[in-house]
Amino acid sequence: MKKLFNDPATMVDDMIDGFVSACPHVRRGTLDPRIVVRQRNRKDPDELVTLLIGNGSGHEPIAMGFVGQGVLDANVVGDVFAAPSADLILDGIREVNGAAGTILLISRHSGDVINGRAATMLAEEEGMKVVPLLMYDDISAAPPERRADRRGAPGTMFIYKILGAAAEAGWPLEPLMRLGEDVRDRTVTLAAAVSPGISPLTGQPMFSLPDDEIYLGMGVHGEPGMGRVKTGPVRILVEEMIRRLLDDRPIAAGGRAAVIVNGMGGTTMMELLTVWAETVKSLASHKVRAIAPMVGSFVTTQETGGFSISLFEPDDEMLGFWCAPSDTPAFPKVELTNECPA
Amino acid sequence: MSAEGFFRVLHEAAGSRMQELNALDAAVGDGDHGTTLVRGLTRAATAADGKRAKAFMRASGGASGTLFGLVLHEIERHLDDGDDLAKGLERACARICDLGEVRPGDKSLVDSLAPAAGALADEKSFAEAVSAAEAGRDATRDMRAKCGRAQHVEGGGVGHLDPGAVSLVLILETLARESVS
Repeated sequence: MKKLFNDPATMVDDMIDGFVSACPHVRRGTLDPRIVVRQRNRKDPDELVTLLIGNGSGHEPIAMGFVGQGVLDANVVGDVFAAPSADLILDGIREVNGAAGTILLISRHSGDVINGRAATMLAEEEGMKVVPLLMYDDISAAPPERRADRRGAPGTMFIYKILGAAAEAGWPLEPLMRLGEDVRDRTVTLAAAVSPGISPLTGQPMFSLPDDEIYLGMGVHGEPGMGRVKTGPVRILVEEMIRRLLDDRPIAAGGRAAVIVNGMGGTTMMELLTVWAETVKSLASHKVRAIAPMVGSFVTTQETGGFSISLFEPDDEMLGFWCAPSDTPAFPKVELTNECPA
Repeated sequence: MSAEGFFRVLHEAAGSRMQELNALDAAVGDGDHGTTLVRGLTRAATAADGKRAKAFMRASGGASGTLFGLVLHEIERHLDDGDDLAKGLERACARICDLGEVRPGDKSLVDSLAPAAGALADEKSFAEAVSAAEAGRDATRDMRAKCGRAQHVEGGGVGHLDPGAVSLVLILETLARESVS
């Protein structure tokens, strides 16, 4: 597989070079070149709570693309598909921390949890006010009674945006944490993979799948999920996914769901918009209105073909934050749709 | 002894036992424990004062880099700032159990660390603490792994020492030797 890199040893730093020079929203951190911090309209960290996340690279635009006004204050960038080390995350916390405190968002994957929580312990030892918020939403990773064992998936973007907007609006640390947990507990995600991405480290496909099969519930690194289904009209696939999502976390008839349709990197906008259209119809058949969609490729794994659907049942305040304006390189403007007048 | 001296000597000691640690890890894991340990210590030995354990975490990488780094962090604070070593090792042990979701008996570095921290908490000598760590290390041979890659190995690694428990003893033995000399 052809890939456009110079050298595996520099590929992450080369990418960050390009990112910070292309996007005036951000700059490199002063403590380490692997930290991307907000440049425009920076918060006063003594007045407003700051938010950051660390993650392995190779999934862009998440999370560096969400650094900016109304979402994240910093992103700590690890090696390809590898969590950043605890000391690097600690430097990231130092970059943004002030008297108002900091929330370290952690998408629940083993290395991210261990290194992220270790970083918050070391930061507290140095007198910083910082708390970790574990995020998990992938229903294929564990049954509902073990929700907290699930891994982070694209539904975590509801938390990024809603906490980002609420922090910007002046919410203090403890209510923000409760809000984040509440959003998390209202969010479920299920993915369907159709073709493997190629690891930039090995040049090899990250999993294999027969031409006529789709893998339901695969994690963002190719982790196992629910199993294989046969290909067919995407309507059938979406109906099955919506059924499983609503079984896992029901939404009462007459309710509404904000939706993220996320492409994994190798699936076209043409296909993703079709998935969204089928999601609207399928939810309607369950008497649930689909609203405020975010459709596109935001959490990617190189050129992996496939998508995920995330459903989030918001209250009015959460919905307001979800649709609040933001100014980052990659977070789209989310708007209420015609199906759901405000 | 300074932290600088400790990390220099530990780097040499780990380097001379790198192949042995890799071989132990190959029996129960992915065979790179010695290599990742030495990679971290190489950076730690040349890092600035106060940043050696953190340099180790970065260079060693992964979850094990963080967990071993937490032990080295307490030793660094003890040597540079005079912080209490017994409390430090106890804190590191509690953090590793919490973060790594591991308990004594699971076949991990905790099986060496917990007895040593316990001995120091009981005001025993450091030599006695090292002996307790060695006994804990040797006991991992008959344990079935309940954490890490070893739990997926046939037989759960029974019959093999845990490489993390072995290298943790190496760290404590180096500290004991250098503290006396």
